[in-house]
Amino acid sequence: MFDRDEDVLDRVIDQLRQPVEMDPTLDAAVMTRVAAGGDRLGRLSPAWDWARRPREISVSPLAGLGVAAALVGIVVWLAGRNPRVAAPASGPSTVQFVVVAPGAASVALVGDFNDWDGAATPMLAAKSGALWSVTVPLTPGRYRYAFLINGSRWLADPAAPRVQDDFDAPSSVVTVGG
Amino acid sequence: MHRTRWIATLPLAVGLLLRPSTAAAQDPRLERRLDPATLQSVSVVIDSARLQGLPVEPLVQRALEGAAKHAAPAQIAAAVRRLALELATAQQALGAASLPAELDAAASALRAGVNPADLTRLRHRRARSLTVALATLADLVASGVPPDSAAAAVIALAASAGDEQIADFRRAVERDIALGAPPAVAAAVRVDAALRRTPGAPRRP
Repeated sequence: MFDRDEDVLDRVIDQLRQPVEMDPTLDAAVMTRVAAGGDRLGRLSPAWDWARRPREISVSPLAGLGVAAALVGIVVWLAGRNPRVAAPASGPSTVQFVVVAPGAASVALVGDFNDWDGAATPMLAAKSGALWSVTVPLTPGRYRYAFLINGSRWLADPAAPRVQDDFDAPSSVVTVGG
Repeated sequence: MHRTRWIATLPLAVGLLLRPSTAAAQDPRLERRLDPATLQSVSVVIDSARLQGLPVEPLVQRALEGAAKHAAPAQIAAAVRRLALELATAQQALGAASLPAELDAAASALRAGVNPADLTRLRHRRARSLTVALATLADLVASGVPPDSAAAAVIALAASAGDEQIADFRRAVERDIALGAPPAVAAAVRVDAALRRTPGAPRRP
């Protein structure tokens, strides 16, 4: 088995690393707010000036190497893939699926293992409401699946391999050995 | 190569042309989820596949996926037909005694662009189940590794590596690609490293 908390943390980090779609009108909206908020910025200007002032920082080669190694280690650690498959001594493997869906009213796991039935495998939200997860037993094989958000929006697992889709809606794939 | 693929799919194609007026047995899951016309065309493909000894559950699941995603009837029927042809090609490449999960994974590899002859080579190199090796092959190609490079890497590992080692190899390649490595280079480097760690494994030239 695997460390559940660490596993969930890995998945959250993986999800957070995915690109975020931005509203195309965001730039204009931000600039409007900036123009309107000049007075507020003025009150904060000493702190802003302090934060922007260039400084010289001395770092020894050894410390620099250490920092670089730590950054590489973090990137490698974050690049771990999901979903996680825990193989028991016998019988089906337990597979945990996790997705970040802030603001969703419902999230379901739908795939080859439940006849693509949107009501068969509802996912449970964590306390924050953004992180949804479910664990399912799977026999060895290769399974296509996707997340169904609010009963209408299909979402591929950003942390799993994608499959070529026949139906113009994204799907992912998980393989269970055996 | 194309000739081999054509011969493999010929019985299925003939079966589809000589379709019976009604399908022999319709899956109740499909009856509940498909309209009558789509059900009829999908059932004909499934019956032909069953007669050839192909696994039909992947075909049922593909039709159910289409229904769940509210795909057009013609789109669902075309997807099921395409998968049936891929399963037939996979069976021809891997042999009639192949496991259903192996054929399903092989169909994914073929869809990704892997050559059927590479599936046959993989079968000859590995005595154990090919499911994870074939799935790895499909996933590597989906990650950007050229099909020939992915096949060479998995075939090199197949003789001696266990399923877990092959899965580790895939994760390592995907991690390298995520860090910016060219996919073909990542596969070559990681397979050499895996072969060095595997006792008795052949070295790639």
